[in-house]
Amino acid sequence: MAEICCEAAAAAAGSDQKGECAGSRAARRRRMEIRRLRVVAEEASAKRRRLEADEEDAVGGRAPRYGVTSVCGRRRDMEDAVTARPEFINGHHFFGVFDGHGCSHVATSCGERMHQIVAEEATAAAGSSVSDETARWRGVMEKSYARMDAEAVVSRETAGPAPTCRCEMQLPKCDHVGSTAVVAVVGPRHLVVANCGDSRAVLSSGGATIPLSADHKPDRPDELERIHAAGGRVIFWDGARVFGMLAMSRAIGDSYLKPFVISDPEVLVVERKDGEDEFLILASDGLWDVVSNEVACKVVRTCLRNRAPRGGRERSSPTSNLSPRQSSASGGSSSSGDEEAGGPSGDGAGSESDGESAEDRACAEAAILLTKLALARQSADNVSVVVINLRRRPRS
Amino acid sequence: MPCLQASSPGSMPYQHHGRGVGCAAEAGAAVGASAGTGTRCGAHDGEVPAEAARHHEHAAPGPGRCCSAVVQRVAAPAEAVWSVVRRFDQPQAYKRFVRSCALLAGDGGVGTLREVRVVSGLPAASSRERLEVLDDESHVLSFRVVGGEHRLQNYLSVTTVHPSPAAPDAATVVVESYVVDVPPGNTPEDTRVFVDTIVKCNLQSLATTAEKLALAAV
Repeated sequence: MAEICCEAAAAAAGSDQKGECAGSRAARRRRMEIRRLRVVAEEASAKRRRLEADEEDAVGGRAPRYGVTSVCGRRRDMEDAVTARPEFINGHHFFGVFDGHGCSHVATSCGERMHQIVAEEATAAAGSSVSDETARWRGVMEKSYARMDAEAVVSRETAGPAPTCRCEMQLPKCDHVGSTAVVAVVGPRHLVVANCGDSRAVLSSGGATIPLSADHKPDRPDELERIHAAGGRVIFWDGARVFGMLAMSRAIGDSYLKPFVISDPEVLVVERKDGEDEFLILASDGLWDVVSNEVACKVVRTCLRNRAPRGGRERSSPTSNLSPRQSSASGGSSSSGDEEAGGPSGDGAGSESDGESAEDRACAEAAILLTKLALARQSADNVSVVVINLRRRPRS
Repeated sequence: MPCLQASSPGSMPYQHHGRGVGCAAEAGAAVGASAGTGTRCGAHDGEVPAEAARHHEHAAPGPGRCCSAVVQRVAAPAEAVWSVVRRFDQPQAYKRFVRSCALLAGDGGVGTLREVRVVSGLPAASSRERLEVLDDESHVLSFRVVGGEHRLQNYLSVTTVHPSPAAPDAATVVVESYVVDVPPGNTPEDTRVFVDTIVKCNLQSLATTAEKLALAAV
């Protein structure tokens, strides 16, 4: 019997996919996890409803609808952080996914500070004479990442006693700790994506799947060349790693591997295309390692389509449909081994969200469904997902 | 000399501190034949201080093995450095990449077995290690890796702590050498680059920790 998630994926992907059968206990565990995710999303939604009453109209209309999930998954510790900051500067909205390694405090610090730093740099750049939007945003992001990287050196102090940070026994400078950082700024006319590390941003526009970032893997030819030119080494040790240690070639933090592992972002500025742009997905490699860009976009497209604006609340969602079948599936299924899923669910360390629009929970459901799919496909990492609906809403 | 001097791995951060020196036996019967059981590996000579060298001698590694030694100078008295190094039950006091350490047997003396859990992001999850030598007179510690989730099989490490000849009361020379199997699919040089990176980070961290201890004691 096909696993429910794979069934959903098959429906979304338009092709048949066989998945591993899971034991009933594992299935129940995943259902509990998904329920907790839904509770978190709904809490965020309620918070958003309160905030929305106070929201001013802004250039380009209301903030985009979005959904956020961040789960520990099969790892022992949660080291991801996620940030969503609608209207962090006038008419612009900030989203970020930060996948930490070595400990959580660098990712936590990114989650708390990156949007503030970008806001400061963007405000400063707005007064500059640079007229080219692309060049201006590139400069903003490059400065912001450099500042965030410098702050990472002292982030254990500034992050305070983060519950998952275990560095009190170690040096104040925990220079083996770092984080990815994929950031999107949604403006009235442009999408800005900056990336450092192996998290990823993927745009769906006109039915096409468009990567807006390229993973910084040490064996990417240009990264390999840069590392060698700096006198570093890339060794294949459970995959390509810088000095056999780190599986990414760029990161915030990780100062013990500088200047080979750098924090310079790759920045892409694209014009928004009304009528074509559908949504943007930001996620950590806990998702992308087990779900392709195309499958992820098909899953999200299905969720958003099932929640057409006119359809409103009456339409049932893909996630609610899954529950009954999931119950029946678990009854008769067998498994070669229990999944080791566990650990806290819901928002991870440093995850911050103001929630999404009350009228549309489709983005939250899409994010939850992607997360569930990643867990079902045995992702071995924390999974963090942000889904941003790019279709503009009419003014209220 | 049965082993060729390996070229130095690429330059490292703080390269004026620790240095890695190693050799690798080439696979092949000829080298195997000439490298008898009793033949000592001389590759470390010249880098390891003379007073410490005898602790770091070992038989030349056979095919599929490699060895290296890392030297770290510390601006702190030898006793302060040794007090940190000798705590086999507390590797997190100076080693990086340690998420936690649990004793499985023993209380810190020879025979103690510890399970070290490694931080995320690295190609290892845990390491099970047995304390083989703890010599408080000669300042020698040796441990053997006997299990865990990692690719370093038959790893044996020796660490020595000696007063620096130039400034015996204020500076120390720490040497850590090791012998280990070369994992399938990797070269001896790969293995040395990987292990030396970890050992260098740990010894740099040791230097920082011991120097702070010494300052606090003044």
